[in-house]
Amino acid sequence: MSEQNAGRGAAPQPPPPIPTPDPRYAWPEKPVLLGTKVKRLDGPDKVTGRARYTYDINRPGMIYGRIVRSPYPHAKITSIDVTAAGKAPGVKAVLAWKDPGAEVVYQGDPVAAVAADTEDRARDAARLVRVRYEPLPHVSSEAQAMAAGAPKWHSAQENTSPGAQQETGDLAAGFQQAAHVVEATYSTHVITHVCLETHGTVCEWDGDRLTAWVTTQGVHQCAEGFARALDIPQSNVRVITQFMGGGFGSKFAPDAQGLICARLAKTANAPVKLMLDRKEEHLDTGNRPSAFAQVRAGVAGDGRLTAFDGRSWGTGGAGAVSNFPLPYLYQFPNRRRAHTNVYINAGQQRAMRAPGHPQGCFLTEILMDELADRVKMDPVEFRIRNAPPQAPNQMWIEYFTRGARQFGWEKRHPTGDPSAGPIKTGMGVSAHLWGGGGRGSHAHVDITSDGSVTVKCGTQDIGTGTRTIVTVVAAETLGLPVSAVKAEIGDTNYPLSGGSGGSTTAASVSPAIRIASINARDALFARIAPVLGTTAGDLVAEDGRIHVKTDPGKGLAWKDACKHLGPESISVDGEWAAGLSSSGTSGVQFAEVTVDVETGVVRIKRILAMQDCGLIVDRLTAESQVYGGVIAAINFALFEDRLLDRVTGQMVNPNMEWYLLAGMSDIPQIDVVLNNMPERGVIGIGEPPTVSTASAIANAVRNATGVTIRSLPLHPHKVLAAIEEQRAGGTA
Amino acid sequence: MSSRKDELSDRPEASAVSRRDFLKSTGVGGLAAAAAGASEVEAQTGPRAVGPGAVPVTLTVNGKRIDLQIEPRVTLLDALRNHANLTGNKRVCDRGSCGACTMIVDGRPVYSCSTLAIDVQGRQVRTVEGLAGDAGAMNPVQQAFCDADALMCGFCTPGFIVAATALLERTPNPTPEQIRRGLDGNICRCGTFVRIMEATVAAAAKGVRRV
Repeated sequence: MSEQNAGRGAAPQPPPPIPTPDPRYAWPEKPVLLGTKVKRLDGPDKVTGRARYTYDINRPGMIYGRIVRSPYPHAKITSIDVTAAGKAPGVKAVLAWKDPGAEVVYQGDPVAAVAADTEDRARDAARLVRVRYEPLPHVSSEAQAMAAGAPKWHSAQENTSPGAQQETGDLAAGFQQAAHVVEATYSTHVITHVCLETHGTVCEWDGDRLTAWVTTQGVHQCAEGFARALDIPQSNVRVITQFMGGGFGSKFAPDAQGLICARLAKTANAPVKLMLDRKEEHLDTGNRPSAFAQVRAGVAGDGRLTAFDGRSWGTGGAGAVSNFPLPYLYQFPNRRRAHTNVYINAGQQRAMRAPGHPQGCFLTEILMDELADRVKMDPVEFRIRNAPPQAPNQMWIEYFTRGARQFGWEKRHPTGDPSAGPIKTGMGVSAHLWGGGGRGSHAHVDITSDGSVTVKCGTQDIGTGTRTIVTVVAAETLGLPVSAVKAEIGDTNYPLSGGSGGSTTAASVSPAIRIASINARDALFARIAPVLGTTAGDLVAEDGRIHVKTDPGKGLAWKDACKHLGPESISVDGEWAAGLSSSGTSGVQFAEVTVDVETGVVRIKRILAMQDCGLIVDRLTAESQVYGGVIAAINFALFEDRLLDRVTGQMVNPNMEWYLLAGMSDIPQIDVVLNNMPERGVIGIGEPPTVSTASAIANAVRNATGVTIRSLPLHPHKVLAAIEEQRAGGTA
Repeated sequence: MSSRKDELSDRPEASAVSRRDFLKSTGVGGLAAAAAGASEVEAQTGPRAVGPGAVPVTLTVNGKRIDLQIEPRVTLLDALRNHANLTGNKRVCDRGSCGACTMIVDGRPVYSCSTLAIDVQGRQVRTVEGLAGDAGAMNPVQQAFCDADALMCGFCTPGFIVAATALLERTPNPTPEQIRRGLDGNICRCGTFVRIMEATVAAAAKGVRRV
């Protein structure tokens, strides 16, 4: 969903003017709930196991689907025979997903599928599907794919395609102004989303009507995807996602597994559950593309950046692009960048939490510290000199200054910890930006004579707390406690709302809920005003009462007021409008690490995250977003890595013991500073806090060791190799 | 990191048998062997062959008897999720590395994805559904997780809740290091660890009564 952000962001723009909202709908000046810490409303369901995720849906007569996948990274299918599988015990449906003659272009490419009465029998039957392949030569790394005479990832496609090409200013003049030039190659690796709830679906047909429980970030988008692929009216498709176990950008469409599930269910005439296993999840549900850049950059003697010339490439797998913003954030007045998409025989990339930004940020921020050292400037001071000017969506200069003070930056030593002993300590800093912003989202509010309030919105809670913020906004607007409002989300039976991507959900949904709730409140006022002998415009709803603004004694408790509705309840709609949300966030993060120069092991001691997010809706869940983003980036920096065997094209670690992720013992002290800017309206922050952490960590490792490691992840062997190289006289 | 699995055997609550040792032993005799000692069990019963077709299996889960007809290869996790509609504990890695399936068997945390259902017959199994008290009141761990926002998507949460409950039942006043080690067998992808630590400390302060 946020792919469009991936190629931009290199040069921050001034904030777009915030349109003045219709004053009826403006956010309250003295909110009661907004910005406070409201506990996640579905917490009790999640901690007791009552919450039913897609994986937990059990339908009467339900059977289990299983996909047969290519073991080869590249091959031609010569035949598919499902006969034996169809006769296996318990099997109710089989299908060939690809045709003989088709090419499979990555390990895990779906080929056929079965459905049986138990999961184990479905697995047994899948092994009986006979697929004959003619293996073809493959490419499993960027270097292999770009080599002269390399085999092609697909018989009819090239291994590379030109990506973003940009040139601004006068590059030659920029390098003439440079007192120092740094030339180096930087890179980041491929990681997978590792959603704990794997991708999957439960599909149930009633005639030509499909109900699909999907673990998705977009219920309405999935309904459209099913309808188009299955050639049925979208009005015949209902998609439900009450709880969802992580997506991070990888769960927007039905995907092959959803369509296979629907077809198996149709054939078997029974509900089918098809959840991927962990290996399939690593191979075929997306990843963050790699990023490489060969860079030449100049800095003037006074510490001003003068020029940037970068040739970049990266792989998004089998036929998917790999763009990212470069240079990132800082002002290089003269710059050129040429990107090449590289294709290899591996699963396709998908948007992953701030697509493109962690890569562009790392490639630029390590360079920034190298340039700062050339002009002998403190990295914070150097960044302040070259950051875009201060603006509401560009708060870097303030965050650098405030953050440095809070973090104790003055205790940082110059590059290379001079202390004796193998444990070296260092500090690093990095900055980030994100767009986000709101867009069309619809909501419906019902108020009935028993006083109950139901808010319906076809958004979904992917773990970010959307269900809670829907409730908070409605309760705030109606002057009720959160317990008096019921939020109904995660179902295409509710009004259209967008996919949860690009950090757009809070900024899209909150205004829609605000407007629908104001409309409902005003409709209620119009009905109650005659009862109170006043006019609707004189009424307010607060503290669970409706009363005359100037005479609080003249009013009714909420429930008593609603009794006057009788059977004609309030039932109104609202739609997102400009003015209650905006886009553009900024943040700065600091890291302190220790590095054992004898083992290469990096430990993180502290992280400080400075982040703005416009008007804070729920401070508790907003803070959780920042913690989560930081921890995800710790994984990116130190642990996770999709490893492909270059000889066989197989993923070496498609599991959770060799695909490393942080546990409790790996988590440092993390301090979060949220900058509440209510005048900007709501801005989502699911993505920005995960952008700059890895770069801050890498710069801290450089500060500790005096060695520049220009590629992620910072695994011990790479740290040791870099230290060895420096000792051997290589460039640091 | 994979190294933390090696630390499990040092966990203070795992005095008799660690989760790691337990998992190693499930293939040759399961929890009965782990809990009672392999030689003792074999002396009593000897090896017996069952299956491969469905066999009757009786489990005691959250104090209730559950009679199932399942193949002997079915894990405890799948038996409860697919055959008893107890879906609170989650399947995530399905090979004993992430902890989302953690259940308590005779007082000890186990990875139920790597435990055969037939091997826990006669044992007391507790799932996340069995931790709340009478009338559905949350236990102190569950309450503390809600209070501290120690969950986001919530898919790892049942495993963390069970692991933290098992830890606090056996180690009522843990040090932060003991909490880290006690929960190192569980992985969260949303990044809730900071608040899981806060919540576990808060729950320990309130006290978790051993059931």
